[in-house]
Amino acid sequence: MSRGLYEPMPAEIVDILVESPTIRSYVVIPQEPIKFATGQFVELSLPGVGEAPFTPSSSPADTEKMEITIMKAGHVTEMLHDCEKGQKVGIRGPYGNGYPVDDFAGKEVYIIGGGVGLAPIRSLFLTLIARIGDFKSVVCRFGARTPDDLIYKEALHGSWQQIEGVDMKLTVDQADGDWRGNVGVVTTICKKDDVNVENAVAVICGPPIMMKFATLSMLDFGFKDSQIYLSMEKNMSCGFGKCGHCMIGKYYVCKDGPVFSYDQIKGYRNIWD
Amino acid sequence: MRNTQTQGEERKRFFIDKLRPLLDSVSQSRRLYVPKPVGERYTFALYDPATAPSPQFNNIRAFTTAKEFLFPLRERVTASPQRGDPDRVEPFAVFGFKDCDLRSMAVLDQVFLEEDFRDPFYEGRRRSMFVIASDCFDPAESCCCTLFGGEPYPGSGFDLSLSQIKDGFIVEIGSEAGARFVADNAVLFVQASETQLAEQSDRRAQTRQRLEAINAPYEVGSAVNDLLEKSGDTDAFDVEAQECVECQACTRICPTCHCFYLYDAVREDYFAKMKMWDSCLRMSYAAVAGGANPRKAVGDRIRHRLMHKFSFFFDRYGIGMCIGCGRCIEGDTHGMDIRVVLKKLDGERKGSNRAEVVS
Repeated sequence: MSRGLYEPMPAEIVDILVESPTIRSYVVIPQEPIKFATGQFVELSLPGVGEAPFTPSSSPADTEKMEITIMKAGHVTEMLHDCEKGQKVGIRGPYGNGYPVDDFAGKEVYIIGGGVGLAPIRSLFLTLIARIGDFKSVVCRFGARTPDDLIYKEALHGSWQQIEGVDMKLTVDQADGDWRGNVGVVTTICKKDDVNVENAVAVICGPPIMMKFATLSMLDFGFKDSQIYLSMEKNMSCGFGKCGHCMIGKYYVCKDGPVFSYDQIKGYRNIWD
Repeated sequence: MRNTQTQGEERKRFFIDKLRPLLDSVSQSRRLYVPKPVGERYTFALYDPATAPSPQFNNIRAFTTAKEFLFPLRERVTASPQRGDPDRVEPFAVFGFKDCDLRSMAVLDQVFLEEDFRDPFYEGRRRSMFVIASDCFDPAESCCCTLFGGEPYPGSGFDLSLSQIKDGFIVEIGSEAGARFVADNAVLFVQASETQLAEQSDRRAQTRQRLEAINAPYEVGSAVNDLLEKSGDTDAFDVEAQECVECQACTRICPTCHCFYLYDAVREDYFAKMKMWDSCLRMSYAAVAGGANPRKAVGDRIRHRLMHKFSFFFDRYGIGMCIGCGRCIEGDTHGMDIRVVLKKLDGERKGSNRAEVVS
């Protein structure tokens, strides 16, 4: 690292997209391009306020700008939601291990996402479709609480549905008058016949309770523990395996994760809390 | 600052009859911290040759840890806009670290000098530190270094090491910097005699025997990392939790606990990012903004702390994190003694092994 260990790279918010009542995407241009692998995360800081970990939702191929999708959840994210275009921010990272995309080659990639968990998945999805021929298929099962809470609406309802090799289904927990799709938690649109588990991987990212039940579903489908990839949300603070807040058992989520296969972490307590 | 000597190589050993000339000489080129009595124990205080009373030899580890010299309670790690280089660390020296203190620094080195992410603040202080270690000859009931691979006298990781004997002190060299100091101050040192060296060995052996006697009731049958690794489901931690008042003293006073917290602060004309000690025993330590918290229960936090201390750290770095200084035993508000906890786990393990055999 050429910069100091704790020193963020200066960056500027150049665009803000309203995704849902509580979620916005920020287009950020760092002073120098930040190379990252899909699934890795960065620490985004608001000077004088604090910093928080986010997995970029943009493709790593887009090196000029980075998109970061943020749900209003705590102090830092609330302050970020009050920011406007032109706001100076800082970025540290990238940190950790992303999705082992090369290992997915030749396989069916079964992706289950929920809520703001679609942010890392968007980055993965963009990475996969850029080389869609490398994968047997990409199956997406995405959900949100309500139609309004579903993020990346335009892509989900439109362009991503059209991509050859992609099988996408959406669901919401509670529908409104205009919703024509499935109603129910995300596992209600996951069917065993969707996928040949012998030659597939499952990728899960979303709220803890969803990740737990999606994992149980995948195990029920016949996936092995080692075929299920989880993007774990823990309290990553330093980003480099020292401060200790994000530990799951012996692992530092910031350094050894945030993407883990289920077999790595299943033996530890309270992983879904 | 590393011990560069190989184990087989005979260390050169010298004799000095008084502490003061040695310490005065050290303090000419750097700030020197020396033991300062507080009640029955010691802390460290800056040594001023002009005003200081006769320097004391601490016969037991201080309650102040080496961590406090290398990884201060609170420090600024960045500023925006930038305010030049981080504070330059001037060379300093500490007299009175024991083997447990030296081993605690070896633990912290693993974390903060890790090749891929070196902490520049820690590294700066570590490189600027001249260590004059010393033998321990009055261990407390809480001292348990010998249970955790330590000795009551310095093994490695020092520049100079002092052993008190009847008429003065034996001085050992532990690094190139130490050798240079001795060469530059040759007038202070004479070769130690065979009798003096024999006295040093005797005193060391006596202290070791005392430690073994203190800790005999706590000997366990297997390696502690192994013991903890297989104890994830014990209720021993939950039992301890019933008495724990979550004061976090054990983590603050521990020389190898190194959790920290990063937070932003607004100063008059700049923003600062601060790094401050944290404790994994704190309720919201692992909580995320969404509200999830994997270790809400105190028992889960104690379990995590001890498993990290004895198992996870060993798994990652190949050395144990507990160095057996006993500070947590003395400092714990409700009287938790890690030796007792380990003994209990050992008992449970033996019990379950027996059960397996029977069934």
